[in-house]
Amino acid sequence: MDETVAEYIRRTVLKIPRDEIKTMLQKWGFLSETQLQTVNFHQIKENISQDVVQLCEENSADIKQAAVLDIIYNHIYPNKRVWSVYQMNKTGEETEFFDLTEFKKKFKRRLRSALKNVTINFREYEDNAIWIRIAWGTPYTKPNQYKTSYVVYHSQTPYVFISASVLKSNLPLLCQALVVASNYRDIREMELRSHSLNSLKDIVFKRYSQNFQTYNPRPLQERNVAPESADLRIIQENRNEKERIQRVNQKVFGDGPQPKIEFAQYKLETMFKSDPKMDVLDKKEPFRCLVKFSSPHLLESLKSLAPAGMADAPLSPLLTCIPQKARNYFKIREKKGFFPGSFVSP
Amino acid sequence: GVFTHLEVLEVRAREAAVKQEETEQQEEKLARLKARVQELRLQRDELQAKVDLQQKGQLGKEGVVSNPAQPTARAVIEWKIKSIEAMLQVFYLTGISGKLTKQGVCFCISTAYEGTYLDSYYLDLLTKPEVQIYRHSVPIFIPLQQIAKKYLQTDIRRFLSVLSDHLNAYVGRRYQADQLQEHFSGQIEGTLQRNSLCNLLVFNYNTSSESKTFPFKVRLLYGDLCCSLPTEVTVSCTPDAPASLAETAAAHSDLFRRVALHKAFRSLRGPEESMD
Repeated sequence: MDETVAEYIRRTVLKIPRDEIKTMLQKWGFLSETQLQTVNFHQIKENISQDVVQLCEENSADIKQAAVLDIIYNHIYPNKRVWSVYQMNKTGEETEFFDLTEFKKKFKRRLRSALKNVTINFREYEDNAIWIRIAWGTPYTKPNQYKTSYVVYHSQTPYVFISASVLKSNLPLLCQALVVASNYRDIREMELRSHSLNSLKDIVFKRYSQNFQTYNPRPLQERNVAPESADLRIIQENRNEKERIQRVNQKVFGDGPQPKIEFAQYKLETMFKSDPKMDVLDKKEPFRCLVKFSSPHLLESLKSLAPAGMADAPLSPLLTCIPQKARNYFKIREKKGFFPGSFVSP
Repeated sequence: GVFTHLEVLEVRAREAAVKQEETEQQEEKLARLKARVQELRLQRDELQAKVDLQQKGQLGKEGVVSNPAQPTARAVIEWKIKSIEAMLQVFYLTGISGKLTKQGVCFCISTAYEGTYLDSYYLDLLTKPEVQIYRHSVPIFIPLQQIAKKYLQTDIRRFLSVLSDHLNAYVGRRYQADQLQEHFSGQIEGTLQRNSLCNLLVFNYNTSSESKTFPFKVRLLYGDLCCSLPTEVTVSCTPDAPASLAETAAAHSDLFRRVALHKAFRSLRGPEESMD
């Protein structure tokens, strides 16, 4: 077994939390149950990884099999990477059949015709997600297994989720291969980025709970049924306002959990509106400014602003349109026309 | 020898006799229970009649003012609520229901496949300045924009009908594929290759879980997105399979084209089991 492969497997195993190592190796399926029984998974990770490498040596693992372990790790812990969403366009209206084997063949052929030194692995999952792992090399060097890009694609959808590596120069090549393999015409990057891959999927596939008005008989949800008879001396003075805020919030955000994104960035190129007497700026130039909101869970925190009394309800549509517009990076320019104001560039 | 042969036949005859006795006993039991059910029904009707009579009689005795023809206000409201809920349930069951909103109308398309209720999808439409889709929960791989471009402005009924056909066919195909993976996984070799729209399925299968000698390979293409049966079926055997299997492959191919996938597999497995 190649030394680089051994080292790669060792480092991959070290990344896995100790309690998960056994299950992940079982999912990998490269080592047999009897082999796994011989490893003591309670020792320190250093030793576990050495034992695993030893077993892989017995089975003569190659880089392709090691790459599968890497895919499994990244599929279980996708939130360690930052994912961007790309949208593809097509002209024709033919019915899509999406043959998986054709897709894989076309992708590999396109990529390899431009760059021979790449390691490409595919893995399909139950939810029709196709995971592609690409390790990049150069025309003169072997693929660097530590500089990988990940692509997640659901068949017959125009969206691709890419977690690029440091080598941004390979991105156009990757995009081209995707377009060719999936029978689309072109591809562009959307202004939507997050660590949570599932939340990005929720946003573009519209899987998050939007509040639709229907007559469907649904069980009425009990909300805020605080025991009224707790202490009769406490009176809610602004109960009406509280209920109004709840209603507005529910209308805007829906009932279910919000997709998880960590940032919203607004690049302002608007004019600074000051008192003419103050004359802050001599030249009438847009005042460039960047406003960035960050949070472990931005949309949930926005949802709780009004009920917590920290902001007025309803919130600015610039904040609440994030899931519907499927973007969290905005450019706001001055609207040239009859009404002053700002408009969001597409 | 002849004696062993006779013994075998004897054993078989005994087993057949036992089975026959069992079935006869079952039938007797069934007939008895049916008679009992009839008895109980008769009893129930008699008792019900008695109760009704008593209630009427009691009212007459007490001479209560509350005339059964004039129910209380509360009862009226409850009845109204029930009938409205029933009406809404009926609308929901038709598969397409809607509610007027401030800016337009919100439609709900509920899907079902052969008696099983599946997902509901929503469309929030604006009506001014022209009919457009404000937001929706239709899966991205359904060609919503194409259908909207064709019909939304001109014939909204047709738009909803076509969209409903697409969605119902999609959930039907998905249901068949899911049922196949859930109940017949023993007969499928390897993975079931499918896609988001479930309109192309490729897999290898055996007719029974035991004899895994010559698996068939099938490719199901659902060319019509509004249909939950395939338009193109290709069943092939491995090159080293006996010639007789080619006929079976053709028969299977015909079966898959006519019958839902999971039902087809059930019928494939059926005759095998009773051959024991």
